Amino acid sequence: MTGKQKKQFWDVVQLALILVAAFIMIIPIIWIFLAAFKSHVDVYQLKLFFVPTVENFKTVFEPPYYLGHKLFNSTVVAGVTVLFAIPIATCAAYSFSRFSLRGETSMLVMILATQFVPAVVIILPFFVMFRDIGLLDTRVGLILVNLAIVMPFAIWMIKGFIDGIPLDTEEAAMVDGSTRLQVIRNIVLPMAAPGLFTAGIFCFIIAWNEFLFALILTNKNAVTLPIGLALFKAEEGDLWNLLSAAGIIIMLPMFILALIIRKYFVQGMTMGAVR
Amino acid sequence: MARVQLTNVTKRWGEFIGVDNQSLDIADKEFLVLLGPSGCGKTTTMRMIAGLEEPSAGEIRIGDRVVNDDLPKDRDIAMVFQNYGLYPHMTIYDNIAYPLKVRATPKPEIGPRVEKAAAQVELTEFLHRKPKALSGGQRQRVALARAIVRTPKVFLMDEPLSNLDAKLRVSMRAELKHLSHQLQITTVYVTHDQIEAMTLADRVAVMKSGVIQQLGTPDEIYNDPANLFVAGFIGSPAMNLISGSVKDGWFTTTGGTQLVKTGVGDLPSVTLGVRAEDVGIAEPGQGDIDVPIYAYENTGESVMLTVQFGKQRVIARGDRHLRKDIEEVVGLTVSPEHLYLFDPKTEQRIRA
Amino acid sequence: MRDKTLKYLLVIPAVLVVFATAIWPLIDSLRLSFTIGRLTKPNFPQGYIGLENYLWAFLDEPAFWNSVRVTGLYTIITVALTTLIALGLAMLLAPGGRLRSGVQTLLILPFAMSPALIGVSFRFMFNPEFGLFDAFFGLIFPPLADISWLSDPVLAFAVCVMADVWGWIPFLTLVLIGGLASVPRDTVEAAQVDGASGWRVFRDVTLPQLMPVLAVVLILKSIFSLKTFDQVYMLTNGGPGTATQTLSHYIYFNGLKYGQIGYSASVAWLMVIPMIFLTYLYAKFVFKKG
Repeated sequence: MTGKQKKQFWDVVQLALILVAAFIMIIPIIWIFLAAFKSHVDVYQLKLFFVPTVENFKTVFEPPYYLGHKLFNSTVVAGVTVLFAIPIATCAAYSFSRFSLRGETSMLVMILATQFVPAVVIILPFFVMFRDIGLLDTRVGLILVNLAIVMPFAIWMIKGFIDGIPLDTEEAAMVDGSTRLQVIRNIVLPMAAPGLFTAGIFCFIIAWNEFLFALILTNKNAVTLPIGLALFKAEEGDLWNLLSAAGIIIMLPMFILALIIRKYFVQGMTMGAVR
Repeated sequence: MARVQLTNVTKRWGEFIGVDNQSLDIADKEFLVLLGPSGCGKTTTMRMIAGLEEPSAGEIRIGDRVVNDDLPKDRDIAMVFQNYGLYPHMTIYDNIAYPLKVRATPKPEIGPRVEKAAAQVELTEFLHRKPKALSGGQRQRVALARAIVRTPKVFLMDEPLSNLDAKLRVSMRAELKHLSHQLQITTVYVTHDQIEAMTLADRVAVMKSGVIQQLGTPDEIYNDPANLFVAGFIGSPAMNLISGSVKDGWFTTTGGTQLVKTGVGDLPSVTLGVRAEDVGIAEPGQGDIDVPIYAYENTGESVMLTVQFGKQRVIARGDRHLRKDIEEVVGLTVSPEHLYLFDPKTEQRIRA
Repeated sequence: MRDKTLKYLLVIPAVLVVFATAIWPLIDSLRLSFTIGRLTKPNFPQGYIGLENYLWAFLDEPAFWNSVRVTGLYTIITVALTTLIALGLAMLLAPGGRLRSGVQTLLILPFAMSPALIGVSFRFMFNPEFGLFDAFFGLIFPPLADISWLSDPVLAFAVCVMADVWGWIPFLTLVLIGGLASVPRDTVEAAQVDGASGWRVFRDVTLPQLMPVLAVVLILKSIFSLKTFDQVYMLTNGGPGTATQTLSHYIYFNGLKYGQIGYSASVAWLMVIPMIFLTYLYAKFVFKKG
């Protein structure tokens, strides 16, 4: 083969590999999408062609499943978690980014480390405490523990965005006559707004997908969507068409949110170790 | 309108000394340039005047007031930053108006003053754009307009031209000069570019390692350098520095070539400085010394000859019509009036 | 207000939240690990018993060692597989262009999926009667056709690994694409001009410059593999038997199903120790950047 032919050959191989990889990555998702629109009978026959139905989506919101209630819980828990996390994280991130504090590195390492502590370790004392003070199976309790997972991400992510705001701009505002708080309100917040929005969405996704805490701390009133999946195990086995419909309700909103902030996803996950 | 005084000001970060016990008295309406290589403390000095850094020791006065404990906003200054520090989320109009708004200037006053400042820097037609939509030179003007929209006591400018391309820098330099002449406000200007310093300044303070090496008019700095550092830093090409000794009034290079008569007594070790334009080029045998050409460069406006002197090289500037070849021998003359002698140990000037 | 005061005021709420939601429970877990801590009995936690819980785990609990073995194996296999596949995929996708960036965008999707849902979907895909992957494996290797994957200890473990790898490939790939993009093009071009083959360019020029990012990826993935719970819970619930019981699952089971809070807190703390080491390594990378 000439050099050119060799290159063409490799291009074809690469293309094939990419398509195979894309196929493997997407097929379980597509399969769930298909199953969600299949009737009970069609699911059990590996059928590619079928008469689509939206019946499953109606069923999951009806008794005994009441997915609407779980949807409400998930939205409230993830939403309120973010509403608390972002302002608190923004204040801290600004301070970490712009000032040198005593013990700054240890504080940042500590915040980073909490993200790596296994959730099962954190949940044991919370379970005991919540049992004593009556916070088990409440949305408030779930929001509290969700802050534990979300805060480190939020602080590191927002710090990254504020680091990116040129210091010149803030100093100019100070020379122009602003107090520090005016600088934060007039300059930093508007400039960091896209970053805060991104961090908010990122944290919302994390809280929404959270499983272990909700599994342990809730059983009826405060059950969230991922835990709700367990409802569709029946005597005769899993109800795949309903599971799939519920799965779509869980993942579709997250897909949309993730696509909005896709550029920052990696940055958020690695907390500044990779830019 | 104010005088700016620094008295024994020091800035330390742990062990590192940024500015070392410096005093500086800037007269009302003076245009003072702080000049030096990066890390010399010039920017730190300015930032302490602005209140963006706190001095570790010493006193800073603006007008009659000691401002050490004042926040930047209370010092009545305006500053132009190296990267301009524009507010990207505001229009040009809002950028320029910000210093007025934040100081609670009456609304009806703001409009006309922004218009006037914008007109002074020829930005009127861009007022409703955002900084992102402007070119580098235009952004520079916005930063200027934001500074001149009030009448502050002092202007501070931190390398304001260094992000512009060479051509734009020359024209902005002239505009700055014009503007400062109009405004008549005390200005402190930081730069590492000696041409900016020479052309803009009433006085130049040349800094190195946190210490002002020489403070004087551009003329003094160029023609009467106080020490080796100033001599070497100012001028392009840099002043030729030749090491040697003086005996019976004659300067002899380390290599043993007797070069020129000086007006000083015997010195076992001395550095002789002479600027390229003060080295005369003659036909072989007609100068003080004959040397082969190491490199010949034609810059268009003049011709640079580099010659080899034993182990040292000397640059001479010649007429732009002079044509020579490498390794051709030329005669050089050095006139005693244009010599500077320095003590190589203390680096201080030795005066006759 | 002066900056000197303000800067501490600004961090106080965050530090308090992190302390209350992460540091306190961590310390309290340590305390509980020295107690009897039976949730089902009165007067919880029923007094201190020193290191007895730890000794119990080490000496009298084959199930503990089983979950250590499962977690260790699981971590090694998933880290190795995910990293290798992601590296390959990153090399394929890094050049950009419409198709490649399209696939990159697609990679975001599994990444935004709840791990619990990934577990569910893999149980679906490997269903012996109508699972698509089951059908596919049966097609290329007939003995695997219509097999009950999740009832076989080895195959169930394999399915857990596959679900994990599938769920993590996108993230690792995207990180590595970013890493590849930061390898200066001219160093690669210099090597090409110097006459290196494609493989030599990768080995001698690209890979060494990718090392810091690769290290970060390895540490991060190790941490998440060690913590694995959600998918396993949804896929196999540790079974069949305890064939896929990871440490997290073991702690969950003992602590919250059987109410042995004291004992599971001690196992949880045994799990924290490797985490501290990995976190230390990770923090070194984060702060080298700054």
